[in-house]
Amino acid sequence: MDVAKRPLSANLFATLLVLAALATGYVGLSAYGYLVPAATLLLLALLIWLGRGRRFFIAIVVTNLLSELISDLVLLLGDGLGAYKLDISGVAMLINLLVGGPLLLALSIPLLATLWLSPYLRRWMDARGFAHV
Amino acid sequence: MKTFRLDFSLLPLLLIAPLGPADAAWLTGKVLAPDGTPAYGAMVTVTDAAKARRETVYTAEDGSYVINPAFTGTLTIRARLSGFEDAAQTCTPNPDQIARVNLNLKRFPSIEAASDALSAAAFNARLPWPDVKRDRTPFISECNYCHQVGNDTTRVPRSHSEWMATLDKMEGMLALLSARQKAIVADVLTRGFDGRPVQAKEDYGVSPELARAKIKEWYLGDGMTFVHDSFVARDQKLYGTDEGHDILWVLDRSTNVIEKYPLPDIDLPRGGLFSGLQLPIGVFTGKHGPHSMAQTSDGRIWITNSLSSTLMSFDPRTKAFKTYPIGLEALYPHTIRVDRNDIVWFTILATNQVGRFDPKTERVTVIDLPSGGPISLITKLSLPTIMRIGSWFPDQALHVYLSTHRIFGYSVLPFPYGIDINPIDGSVWYAKLNADKIGRIDPNTLAITEWDTPAQGPRRPRFDANGVLWIPAFVDGVLMRFDQSKQTFAKFKIPSVSPGEYETPYALNISPRTGEIWMSANNSDRIIRFSPVRRTFMNYPSPTRVTVLRDFSFTNDGVVCSSSSNLPAYAIEGGLASFICVDPEGGARDREALAARAN
Repeated sequence: MDVAKRPLSANLFATLLVLAALATGYVGLSAYGYLVPAATLLLLALLIWLGRGRRFFIAIVVTNLLSELISDLVLLLGDGLGAYKLDISGVAMLINLLVGGPLLLALSIPLLATLWLSPYLRRWMDARGFAHV
Repeated sequence: MKTFRLDFSLLPLLLIAPLGPADAAWLTGKVLAPDGTPAYGAMVTVTDAAKARRETVYTAEDGSYVINPAFTGTLTIRARLSGFEDAAQTCTPNPDQIARVNLNLKRFPSIEAASDALSAAAFNARLPWPDVKRDRTPFISECNYCHQVGNDTTRVPRSHSEWMATLDKMEGMLALLSARQKAIVADVLTRGFDGRPVQAKEDYGVSPELARAKIKEWYLGDGMTFVHDSFVARDQKLYGTDEGHDILWVLDRSTNVIEKYPLPDIDLPRGGLFSGLQLPIGVFTGKHGPHSMAQTSDGRIWITNSLSSTLMSFDPRTKAFKTYPIGLEALYPHTIRVDRNDIVWFTILATNQVGRFDPKTERVTVIDLPSGGPISLITKLSLPTIMRIGSWFPDQALHVYLSTHRIFGYSVLPFPYGIDINPIDGSVWYAKLNADKIGRIDPNTLAITEWDTPAQGPRRPRFDANGVLWIPAFVDGVLMRFDQSKQTFAKFKIPSVSPGEYETPYALNISPRTGEIWMSANNSDRIIRFSPVRRTFMNYPSPTRVTVLRDFSFTNDGVVCSSSSNLPAYAIEGGLASFICVDPEGGARDREALAARAN
């Protein structure tokens, strides 16, 4: 495969990430806290478009997924934690916003699955020498 | 011109007076309009020397009044009638003396003075809304929530940026305007409150019933006191929850003594679970935020503590409090009622729930109410976490930067508000203020059914003895009637006191004696009485400008009481919160007592 040619999946995800960034940014115009995940989404769109920083990209998406998971689990099952329950979910929520917010969560499974299963996208993001950003 | 003379001819009759407070003076006379005609329906208000208590009667058709205030000393007597300048004077009648005081109302010396005497309704009715239906609705819902907008404190001309700063402050106290709504409100207030006088003729109406009534007011605390609800307990004392200062005020109407009981401390910061809000310093010094009250058969009074999310009992005999946590994800417990099995039910406003508490087992059950769609559900689920994040940064109101209300407005939080128990079947009913719904909870199965209301802003409903639910619609200024057996609503538009004005009915209660409905009308300084039989409204104009009343409660002797609760209290005429009671026959009793003495 010609690594210089951007695979269709990169085009698709970059577009989706930009759309997610725009939607989150629109919300952020009213509730400024959402400008942070909007910026993160734009950064991720840029990375996947340029094909750089795969590990960093994956770290962001996985952190988004895990923070949401922790938040949900703690809220659902964490009654024994007492007052710490909301502290943990609060930290998880802030981390989740920092790493892309709720719309990235919606994209995270297809993104990770494609990066894992599709050699094209993986090679696209690996081949440009910026695996470690 | 005012005349004042003491009438000693009736003095010997005092020895046989069967009624009236011991040692209290009698005041009687006439109130005349500037043209010399009798002023019908004028308020004659007597204030004691310490300015701690006031009593008011209304003049009869011939302009006459009689009042036997329960206090002596140097008294201030004031006559007030809409459309005229007040007439006032002081006198120091001896105890048991009958003083004749005639008061002549005057025309206002200027249009500014006439404008200053108008209610807030006259001012906010003239706000230039681009689209009344679309833009005024969130304004009424969010900006008239805790206080009037249009009184002399809140209609001060401000620039657009100053109004935006004011709205920021309100948002920091949980006003839920979207960014767009906020900009529109700021623009309208900038253009509408320009400092120019307003001309309006506010007519509160007159009736023979008005001249039979008497209003008593007892001032409380200071200009920062925020007594949310009042409640007449079985001991006939009036209890008031000071939401800002964690105090339970108790008035003994028979002795006129007011006591205060501070709530026990709790390991929370100022503002409780809402410490991240920008609660005004001075007004909110507490942590619990006591809100609403109800009483179980064992005599204990149950209090919802909105800020600490706790339920609290107060034993009037031992004066002991006991605290019961509701849960960190049950935010802002609100109105509370007790059912016939002594189960305590309360709405949980911010997280769209209803609480059930069994005092025997001391077990709390939190019931999730139907959400208003995915956005509403997400907002509700994330709110406790967002408020927790906010509490890490006290008084910064950072929650607004994460809240979906900024985009979608106040309707993202349904706000279950008032609650009551159907006396026929024991079912529990609530009103969702922001979702325009009422709901029924089966007390046994906890099954929930909801209905859309035909008017916006159902706030604090109550059942009458026949199981008919009466609902004040705060936003639309309507009284609604819901007949469960027929599943039908009826609407009664509350008449305004001047064309174009609107009303904001907050709460109501139904007289157990007469079946009539007493209702707050917080935009135009009056109390409304509605006859379900004649389907007519009548007004009791309040003697105090900036009257914002909350729950109504009845005494065994037919008096209806509430708390003057504008936030802040210093914006109320006189600068203080108060207990306020309307005795529908109090004025007539004073007249009859004086006539009995004369005969």
